[in-house]
Amino acid sequence: MSIISISYDLLLLTVFSVGIIRYKRLTIPFKVLTWSVLPIFLLAILSGIFSLKYKNNVPIMHLECITGYIFYSLTYYYLFKSKAIKQSIIISIVIIIVFFIINAVFLQPFRKVFPSNVTTPTQVLYAVFSLLLFKEMLLYPLKINIIKQSVFWYNIGVLFYSTSLFLMFGLGNYIGDHKLSPNFVSFIGYFWYFILYVFHILIGVSLLIDNKEITATDG
Amino acid sequence: MADQSLRILLLATGALFTGITGFIIYFVVLYRNKQLKNKRDQEQLQSAFRQELLKTQIEMQEQTLLYVSREIHDNVTQVLSFVKLSLAMAAKGAEDHKQTKINESRELVAQVITDLRDLSKSLSFEHITQLGLVKTIEIETKRINKSGIINVSLSAEGDIYPLGEQRELVLFRIFQETLNNTLKHSGAKHLKIALQYHSELFNLTLEDDGDGFSAILLDKSKGSGLKNIENRATLIGATATINSSPGKGCCVKVSLNPLEQRLYADGYHPSRFS
Repeated sequence: MSIISISYDLLLLTVFSVGIIRYKRLTIPFKVLTWSVLPIFLLAILSGIFSLKYKNNVPIMHLECITGYIFYSLTYYYLFKSKAIKQSIIISIVIIIVFFIINAVFLQPFRKVFPSNVTTPTQVLYAVFSLLLFKEMLLYPLKINIIKQSVFWYNIGVLFYSTSLFLMFGLGNYIGDHKLSPNFVSFIGYFWYFILYVFHILIGVSLLIDNKEITATDG
Repeated sequence: MADQSLRILLLATGALFTGITGFIIYFVVLYRNKQLKNKRDQEQLQSAFRQELLKTQIEMQEQTLLYVSREIHDNVTQVLSFVKLSLAMAAKGAEDHKQTKINESRELVAQVITDLRDLSKSLSFEHITQLGLVKTIEIETKRINKSGIINVSLSAEGDIYPLGEQRELVLFRIFQETLNNTLKHSGAKHLKIALQYHSELFNLTLEDDGDGFSAILLDKSKGSGLKNIENRATLIGATATINSSPGKGCCVKVSLNPLEQRLYADGYHPSRFS
């Protein structure tokens, strides 16, 4: 395990600790978000172990993809005010779970192939949820400064994460098509970690500033 | 070929990050503008609310002064003139007759003192704040019944809770306005006032057995007292329903959700505005 992956695990642990320490002061969506960090942290450790032991962490990727989607979309479920969007999120979770099973069994075998068939639509959905939430935020603006709003940081994090993944896919395909130097491959790996770092730091910031008392009085 | 793909990829990376950053900056600016607009709208609403509330206060004061002037003219002045006459007659009469007259006059003066005390209470605008809506309506009901113009019955249902000074003030003004309409135009003999306090609903109902009026008249009269009732109800987040038909009296019902707060109504009495 490299230093960068260990520090990523430590970052996840720190973010989870921040959520747990401030748990009582968090609103429901950010309580859900706190619990999302724990399985992601455990799966990140398992991913490192699988990579070392079996030279294959694809099964963990499958699990990470579905776990992330369930937790992040549930967080959105609680953040949205619109009933229609909430309903759509629940339906999307059911569909994605069913598709995840079909994909893991028939299309992209659980132990062999990276679950791009599930990752791609979930990332698109994250981006859509993020943009819709930005729109809803404009419809119901709070009095407090936007920089001090947890939902703003979480939403930016998701938008950044979801849109960057397509770039990563592009870079992955590029690596596949061209024989590149190991330095370049490492650079891509670091870049992927950079995206994950930014995403989880933004989650950490949102957990750090979320306060149900402020949200209740302002809303 | 490989270099070209790499260049495109790097360009795409740059474009992506620039796009996201641009979007965030744009959103923050847009959000800030929206916040400012909301603040301005709220201030305007608050200002309109205060103005309307002050208008309500002035109208209530006018109504009270009118009542006080009538009471002084019709009651206090008459009784005191009688006392003056009685005492003048006592001065000329025999000793036992003199004592009777003085006793009578003393009782009348005591009555005048009580009446003046009641008047001074109604002059104090704060009494609705101190006594609350139910008690204030009760006092008003007693006063009307005492006058003998109309028979008013009052009932309060449920656990009485405060609705907030401003809302109670507006509700009382709606009550006064409806009462005035009944006294002036309806020719009613009975007026039923009902106050219902439920956990999520408050109702104030005034129902008379007067002449009533047609729905067409009701539509035409929008802009007068009835329209005022509806507007004032809206101001505090309530709804006013006016039902009437010829020969069947009139019913005014004001419904309010006590849990629903109006952002621009801060729950204080207008006299405390800074």
